[in-house]
Amino acid sequence: MALTTAPDPTRRGPGSGRAHPARRGPGTIRHREGLAAYVFLSPWLIGLMGVTAIPMLLSLYLSFTNYDILTPFSEVEWVGLANYERMFTADPSYWHAVRVTLTFALIAVPLKLAAALGVALLLNRAWRGVGLFRGLFYLPSLLGGSVALAIVWVNMFNRDGAFNSLLSLVGIEGRPWVNDPDWALETLMVLAIWQFGAPMVIFLAGLKQVPTELYEAASVDGAGRFRQFRNVTLPMLSPVIFFNLVLETINGFQGFTAAFVLSNGTGGPVDSTLMYTLNLYITGFTELQMGYASAMAWVFLLAIAAITAIFFSTGRFWVHYSDGEDR
Amino acid sequence: MQPATPPTTDTSAGRRHGAPLPRRRLLSGLLAVTVAAPLMFGAAACGDDGGAADPSDPVKLSIFWWGGDARAKLTEDALALYTAKHPNVTFETTWQANQGYFDKLATLTAGGNPPDLFQIDDNYLAEYAARSTTLDLTPYQKSAKLDTSKFPESLWQYGVVDGKLAGLAAGENTQGLVYNKTLLIKNNLPEPTTGMTWEQHIAWAEQVTAATRMPGTQDPSADYKALWVWLRQQGKDLYKGKELGFSAEDVAKWFELWKGARDRRATPSADVIHEGNSSDVTKQLVVTGKAATSWVWANQMPDLKKNTKDELGVIAYPGDPSAQWARASMYWSVFKGSKNRDVAVDVINFLNNDPEAVKLLGTDRGLPSNLDLRRLVSDGTTDPAMKQSIAVEAELTQKFGPSPQVPIKGHSKVKSELIKAAENAQYGRATPAQAAAQFVEACKSAIA
Repeated sequence: MALTTAPDPTRRGPGSGRAHPARRGPGTIRHREGLAAYVFLSPWLIGLMGVTAIPMLLSLYLSFTNYDILTPFSEVEWVGLANYERMFTADPSYWHAVRVTLTFALIAVPLKLAAALGVALLLNRAWRGVGLFRGLFYLPSLLGGSVALAIVWVNMFNRDGAFNSLLSLVGIEGRPWVNDPDWALETLMVLAIWQFGAPMVIFLAGLKQVPTELYEAASVDGAGRFRQFRNVTLPMLSPVIFFNLVLETINGFQGFTAAFVLSNGTGGPVDSTLMYTLNLYITGFTELQMGYASAMAWVFLLAIAAITAIFFSTGRFWVHYSDGEDR
Repeated sequence: MQPATPPTTDTSAGRRHGAPLPRRRLLSGLLAVTVAAPLMFGAAACGDDGGAADPSDPVKLSIFWWGGDARAKLTEDALALYTAKHPNVTFETTWQANQGYFDKLATLTAGGNPPDLFQIDDNYLAEYAARSTTLDLTPYQKSAKLDTSKFPESLWQYGVVDGKLAGLAAGENTQGLVYNKTLLIKNNLPEPTTGMTWEQHIAWAEQVTAATRMPGTQDPSADYKALWVWLRQQGKDLYKGKELGFSAEDVAKWFELWKGARDRRATPSADVIHEGNSSDVTKQLVVTGKAATSWVWANQMPDLKKNTKDELGVIAYPGDPSAQWARASMYWSVFKGSKNRDVAVDVINFLNNDPEAVKLLGTDRGLPSNLDLRRLVSDGTTDPAMKQSIAVEAELTQKFGPSPQVPIKGHSKVKSELIKAAENAQYGRATPAQAAAQFVEACKSAIA
């Protein structure tokens, strides 16, 4: 495969004939093609510039200012690294939000992936009606960031909600889960884990790719079910696990909607659900400290980039690609 | 994939130098357009220097408020009345629920596209005024284009920030203790009365809990307006100038008072109190049936009534009622950069001083600020909720003390820090003294 794409100095590419200098300039085919390309690209380019690149650069600039959203840009005051300094040294609620977010991601993400893999293994069999079950398990994650789902969750896990009614049937007295600072975050974790449909579907696709010969060979060698799973399924699936791990970790860090709805946008009770993004939102929009919030956003971006980089650098020790080369 | 070209020939070298140029120019052009467009619109919004030259020129005024369907209908009717009298003026109305309103207002303002006229409350008035977002209405007031002569003095003054009239009270309002009348009558319990001491109130609530199994009162230790009234009764205040008007010891005493009440079961448990700490009317414990009493604003009575079948009563907060004051329930403010500021001020004047408009609006935004028209509305009304609201306010008006200053910049953070500290004490995670110290510390950095 590598051979066919290697650069070959003796071969001319298909478009090389047109590149003659005499044919360049206004009115030439090449020029018009280029123009057409830009016209077709322009919606995307304008989108990229207008809603991504420029706002990002602007927020980087604002993170060094005391911008409070109501003051016009022209009067914004440059404060240097003061926002970053305050974040790291003088803002206890910032570190509290970091702790809440890490706790959430460290517990919810592995459990969610385990649930997704477990159910994917079950649904990988060819039994009657399996399609229906795949759909049903996928459904909650379709509703992913939905506000409606979070409201349902709040009502289910209230003191007088459905979950406590179920518990009372077996004689257990429930708690006010979502209104208890010791349990509110855990309730959010359960909600996140329950939405394992998306990684499950990806795991299912990965499981279908594992060649059956490997299992046959393994069973001929006398490997039992568990050994087959450990020595065939897991290594063959590792690229998919890696993919899901990176994606879900990033998702986990960004959890916002459920925490926002559950706490009425406050991060309560007693800051127990004050996720990083929620804290950022409150700082920017409720407390009108957009400069400081921009600084938080950039630290967040760098932190996620760093975590992703760590995943990629450790990945080569345990991710196996089926083309025989371990990269 | 790019077509592969021989890297060594002259043709490709020429292309390498030539091709990126138009691309770069195009990109920088796009960049310039996307940067400049919002700036131009922003500049256009700020550029003009006042009212339309010709009073009959067509004007489209944008107006933004928070509230429910009922308020939207009343307001739109009143604005239609204005258009009927001034056919050149039409309105572009936008309204939404309180949750998210100020996020949107701030975003609109930041985008250089705020409404000409908007509703605001004292949580944010100082924030906006301090940043020169609101038009100073004093000149209009002096030239009587904005008539406040029939307003109670303390009411319009409650809109003055740093010597400038930043907003005009859209209605008068005060703190109200709302209780479930039906429940008390059914259980043969006495109704609470204005002037009860705090101790008497808690003892009464304890009695209600014992008799009805419904906790007698919502624990208001996280409620800034209850703390504020209580502080004023101790000779303190929430703010003094740009400083806090109280100490950590004061707050500790306040938290201690309610810890005692919780221990005596006069209030519900911490998680139920937490539900009631929401500013959402539909979650107030008196309407969700989780407590017999809620600490609200008196003008929320009609809204509360819609959420329960029980009959409700309303009185002043415990202690000396002279600690309460005629508060602007909310204000109308004009965006300083508005092209139509003269018209916008005239609309405010109309909504507050035109008999027909005031009659239409009723008590939805609090009692009419114009005292003559307030009498007119109260004489003309048949709606029992409105009647009750007027009667209570009229009774309390006699006892009101002077208004405090409008809350300072950072007030919204102070409010959320109070909720956090009070809940820390309510859930038993901190002693009242610890929670109070933590609160005062957080306040100091919030208003710095």
